[in-house]
Amino acid sequence: MGGFKLGGMTFRGLFKEPETIQYPAQQKPAPAGLKGHVVIDVQKCILCGICQKRCPCDAIAVNKPERTWTINRFACVQCGSCVRECPKTCLVMEPTYAPPSTSKHLDSFEVPEAQKA
Amino acid sequence: MSAFTQTFAPISIADIPAMAADRKASGWRFVQVLAVNTENGIDLVYSFMKDGALENFKVEGVTKDDVVPSITGEFLAAFVFENEAHDLFGVNIKDIAIDFGGNFYALSQKEPMTVISPAQLAAREKAKKLAAAKAAKEAKAAAGESAAEASEASKAADMEAKLAAMDPEKAAKVRAAMEAKAKKEAAAKQAEKDAAMEAKLAAMDPEKAAKVRAAMEAKARKAAAAAQTADDAKGGE
Amino acid sequence: MGKATVIPFGPQHPVLPEPLHLDLVVEDEVVVEAIPQIGFIHRGLEKLVETRDYNQFIYVAERICGICAFGHSMGYAQTVEELMGVEIPPRAEYLRTIWHELSRVHSHILWLGLAADAFGFESLFMHCWRLRERVLNIFEKTTGGRVIFSVVCVGGVVRDIDAAQFREIIGTLEGIKSDYAKICNAFLKDTSVRNRTDGVGYISLEDARALSMVGPFGRASGLPYDVRSLGMGAYGKLSDFQPITSTAGDCYGRMEVRAKEVLQSIDIIEELIAGIPAGDIAVPVKGSPAAGAEASMVLEQPRGECYYYARGNGSKYLERMRIRTPTSINIAGMTTALAGCDLADVNMIILTIDPCISCTER
Repeated sequence: MGGFKLGGMTFRGLFKEPETIQYPAQQKPAPAGLKGHVVIDVQKCILCGICQKRCPCDAIAVNKPERTWTINRFACVQCGSCVRECPKTCLVMEPTYAPPSTSKHLDSFEVPEAQKA
Repeated sequence: MSAFTQTFAPISIADIPAMAADRKASGWRFVQVLAVNTENGIDLVYSFMKDGALENFKVEGVTKDDVVPSITGEFLAAFVFENEAHDLFGVNIKDIAIDFGGNFYALSQKEPMTVISPAQLAAREKAKKLAAAKAAKEAKAAAGESAAEASEASKAADMEAKLAAMDPEKAAKVRAAMEAKAKKEAAAKQAEKDAAMEAKLAAMDPEKAAKVRAAMEAKARKAAAAAQTADDAKGGE
Repeated sequence: MGKATVIPFGPQHPVLPEPLHLDLVVEDEVVVEAIPQIGFIHRGLEKLVETRDYNQFIYVAERICGICAFGHSMGYAQTVEELMGVEIPPRAEYLRTIWHELSRVHSHILWLGLAADAFGFESLFMHCWRLRERVLNIFEKTTGGRVIFSVVCVGGVVRDIDAAQFREIIGTLEGIKSDYAKICNAFLKDTSVRNRTDGVGYISLEDARALSMVGPFGRASGLPYDVRSLGMGAYGKLSDFQPITSTAGDCYGRMEVRAKEVLQSIDIIEELIAGIPAGDIAVPVKGSPAAGAEASMVLEQPRGECYYYARGNGSKYLERMRIRTPTSINIAGMTTALAGCDLADVNMIILTIDPCISCTER
């Protein structure tokens, strides 16, 4: 039993560097493996649709006739299933978060015709 | 402590209080009650644990009319799960120690867990189809092994089945025709045999041939007599 | 004796992070009886198993709770593996257990902070959460997420931790240990804390046993039950594991058990990191659970024993997934602890069972 046991720790806090950062001005560096947002390399994509099938929250839509790959970033939960399942490894998880937005929108990407070598 | 083991055992609704009292007396710890919505009603699973042994008692096919006795008298902690089974699955549980009478969960819809969603229905149908296809495949494989003997039997069985489906008069005609066919075949076979025998006899020395012929005639007479009695018996039917 | 009055408590109340409603029957500032009610945040997550296949449901399972998220994904994966007879590689077992114990460290430190907040010790609360932040940073580096990790898959885990990261984890944990010792000292020895927690919400060992209490709540009453001592997965490889118990049975006992479990978890993590085997981190899982196949599983979450049950229907969607969380079985114990307490102690008692109502209702 005793008095103010946290005294020493609190007192030292007066002279230490703060643990927090001044957020909008300073930003924490993102670690390499952070699950930020999914990006697609449209050159490699073959529009197989496996990512759409594996997505647990139906955030990805693959349109083969129109050759588009669409993601709803507001529905995406960054689970990384699509990145793991992609047979052409054209999907990558970038360690930056998707920026905030004032309205919900879909991100659509045109997939060019495959060049015959 | 001992290692983790799990068992599933079926019990009936009437045995629930006795089972709970027995578990309580022998110092088991109550784990949970859960409900599963199936096509034959609700399955309830009561779980108890002691030293790493997890026992699940399963009551199958509880309908809306069944009254399930509460186990809160023995294990008070079960009131959460019994109210939950009542609110989400519509299981009629009586004498819960703290009975909320359907107000434990604030829901917009009654018994939401008993709604069979289209997705679940599709999954169940698909599973059924898969199971049926598997069973058919297995049956086929089994049939393939004993195909030689089975095909003959199945043909006869098929014919019988066809006959059973026909009207009796027609069936009798068909049956008669079949018998006639069988007789004809038998006769043809006999004739063949006789011809072969004749050829053999011709090749033998005359004395021996005479003996054999006598024996054969005796045999034929016997057979004819047997046939006669059989025919008589048929006629008497 | 005064007249009995019923005071509605919650679902919105400053001490409650989650909506739990209690009808407190009060006579002269003393609670005679407490009747709990839940059901304000039933989300039907167990029903979702019908529209998400058994691989996708992991992401639903870990959203059941924001604090024991990893535990739920691990428990769910273990149950499905049991259902399908899948044996996972030992390295995956070790990695899962390391993350699970890290979750326990962060959950208990978070809870200690909330407890400090509940008895009005603001600076202690802030110090606790400052330490918790370091654990979250470990998660961020090793899994890519701070709260929801999505690193478990049926058949193993999807991310590996390399030797350099292990060294970093140990370094961070050692740093936490030295600061944590001072915080522990404040929690367990400070007079103001003891005045607020000693003898509050007492539950005897017999009551704890009769009410089937689990987790730190039960262990604080001397019930030596911890699923980890059954030695499932990597827990079986530990040299020694003894559940931490207390004989106090009151709020102080519950705080003591959790405070000591943090140090125990750190020791477990260090032992596992020292002995982690090399090898694969996942095995491919093909096919789907058989129709009518059943499996049950228990796992020690930060809040206590969690029970999982799965039933297959022959397709890749499960017929039923049941998750019985520790709080739902501790509710009976909580009402017992509340009976006879002072009205002013109600918030402290509710908090010491570490209630997670979202888990309870799913």
